[in-house]
Amino acid sequence: MTNKETVICRCEDITMREIQETVERFQCSSREVKLRTRAGMGSCGGRTCRGMVDKLVEQLGGPPISNEIALSYRPPVRPVSFGVLGGEEK
Amino acid sequence: MIDLLIVGAGPAGLRAAIAAAENGLHVSIIDEFVKPGGRLLGQLHEEPDGSWVNGVEEAERMYHRAIQLGVEISTGVSVYDLAETPAGWSIYTTDGVRESRCLLLATGASETPIPIPGWTLPGVMSIGAAQVMGNVHRVKPGHKGVVIGVNVLSVAIAREMQLCGVTVDRIVLPAHNLISADASNPEKMMESLLRLSHLAPSSLMKIGGKFVSPKLAARFYPRNGFKIWGIPIQLRKTALEIIGEEQVRGVRIAAISATGSVIPGTEEIVDADFVCIAGGLTPMAELAAVAGCRFHYVPQLGGHVPLHNERMQTTLKGLYVAGNITGVESAKVAGAQGRVAGLSIADELGVLSAAGKEKIKEAVDQTVHTRKHALIQFNQGIEEARHALYTEFQQLTDKKISV
Amino acid sequence: MKSMRVQEHPILGNSEKKEAVTIYFDGKPYTAYTGDTVASALLASGVRTLRKHEETASPRGIYCNIGHCFECRVQLNGSETVRACLTTVADGMYVTSLTLPKGASI
Ligand SMILES: Cc1cc2nc3c(=O)[nH]c(=O)nc-3n(C[C@H](O)[C@H](O)[C@H](O)COP(=O)(O)OP(=O)(O)OC[C@H]3O[C@@H](n4cnc5c(N)ncnc54)[C@H](O)[C@@H]3O)c2cc1C
Ligand code: FES
Repeated sequence: MTNKETVICRCEDITMREIQETVERFQCSSREVKLRTRAGMGSCGGRTCRGMVDKLVEQLGGPPISNEIALSYRPPVRPVSFGVLGGEEK
Repeated sequence: MIDLLIVGAGPAGLRAAIAAAENGLHVSIIDEFVKPGGRLLGQLHEEPDGSWVNGVEEAERMYHRAIQLGVEISTGVSVYDLAETPAGWSIYTTDGVRESRCLLLATGASETPIPIPGWTLPGVMSIGAAQVMGNVHRVKPGHKGVVIGVNVLSVAIAREMQLCGVTVDRIVLPAHNLISADASNPEKMMESLLRLSHLAPSSLMKIGGKFVSPKLAARFYPRNGFKIWGIPIQLRKTALEIIGEEQVRGVRIAAISATGSVIPGTEEIVDADFVCIAGGLTPMAELAAVAGCRFHYVPQLGGHVPLHNERMQTTLKGLYVAGNITGVESAKVAGAQGRVAGLSIADELGVLSAAGKEKIKEAVDQTVHTRKHALIQFNQGIEEARHALYTEFQQLTDKKISV
Repeated sequence: MKSMRVQEHPILGNSEKKEAVTIYFDGKPYTAYTGDTVASALLASGVRTLRKHEETASPRGIYCNIGHCFECRVQLNGSETVRACLTTVADGMYVTSLTLPKGASI
């Protein structure tokens, strides 16, 4: 296994190579990497990999990490069952 | 409608609840973990005078005090969304919607991973996972493990694992890649290791004291490392890959030069049934982002933090933050900030007397004092970075007022 | 196998005696103790793999142990998906791996 086959997004099983290729090919931001590769779109809501994706993008010459949060957080920040979302209590 | 809802029953949330309830506020805390205490629960540190700080006991003490004051604490409940309302905040939880006049986010920090080939195998866990397994659940993370990443947390927790009867075979650096960056560089890691010398004075001074510069120390660093509490810390070894089919079987390591390049022909496989990855901590501010707080990127504080002032107010009305969500620091600092937040909220809700108002200033000073004397310092330059952040907050609110 | 439980500890003291319960993981019974999480009880019995990745089928177990990574998700009593690291055990609890082949009997 080479270093490049390292998984970055554990939820969606997206590798460092896939992200690197995406950034190099499209010269894109973390947000676009997420949309193109699905990195950060899994069950954990990107909690585990968002920092790594931001760092990779920055290291590969993309936009540097700024005050703005590149991969925005959207509710629900924890997966909830439809019952709970529908207002039904546990 | 209650006065104050707190998300997170760590040291920040518990101390905030105590301070607010002591001033007569009706307070509830929600936490998704199985018991109150947050990450304080797993902590076990030896003070320079040889006494131990036992996180489980400290958490219990705060919990009982809070309960005594009538604070309601629900564990096993997650908060997944928030919304500002005319009267305060609506908090969406897996146990229904709660309404509160003020809201305090004390959600702590999460661990930053360092990706290594094979790190998805069962048996690979974050260093904090091992701490919680051993010290909170009282189950060993495994029998023999390798720790990847050298920092204050990995050194402290390696020792805690040893106290649980686990063999920590060695601590090595992570494979070099775009993400591990400095964490894979022996010279850089030597610098940070020397800053930890107060944690294990005798062994670290032995190596550090001999050299004028971390560069030289890294260069002449013994190939097999030196031991702290009998655990080899190998700054000149790198973890190339974690191996195993169904679960961890071992780690493929190699020797590296002082600047981090792999020395050919030095690869070997170390047997292990578990591996810990220690990449540091970052504030967990997702709920603050959902609420619409302004953010600042402050590397000294561990990453993106919601903009706040020294009274723990954010840019949104009735929304406060305290503890590691505002920057990664030790549990005592988080607790001190919690107290500030609890008092500030009591002030906003108009229940503080003149003497009470004096207490806010004292609590703010106490936080600075605690920070200065904290045994565990995660980063350098925290006080300066905080000062800059608070100034920024002040300028922003001044501007708003003048508009 | 040497016990995975930390019974004695030089600073934290000895583990309190807890009540033993039985939980089922993919149909097999395991002894757990009240206060354990599903993840810690299974690890104490030597079980590290909690699920297989939905697409690649690579085995997964706990990573963060505090509810952040969602790697430990399992099915509880045939319905709810929960995080094994945040779920305390109860006697007779029925836990299944999320990737059990469809129709497999348990
Ligand atoms: C894994 C780990 C290990 C650590 N080990 C040490 C150590 O050994 N020594 C040290 O000095 N510091 C350590 N720290 C730093 C630690 O963050 C501080 O010491 C201190 O615990 C911070 O207190 P806090 O109250 O800000 O947050 P925490 O103690 O982290 O408490 C936050 C609480 O909020 C809860 N929470 C978060 N989000 C939600 C949500 N959406 N819904 C419901 N509940 C939620 C969590 O379950 C948690 O219990 C560690 C941090 C981590 C993450
Ligand atoms: S192990 Fe990370 S959520 Fe349970």
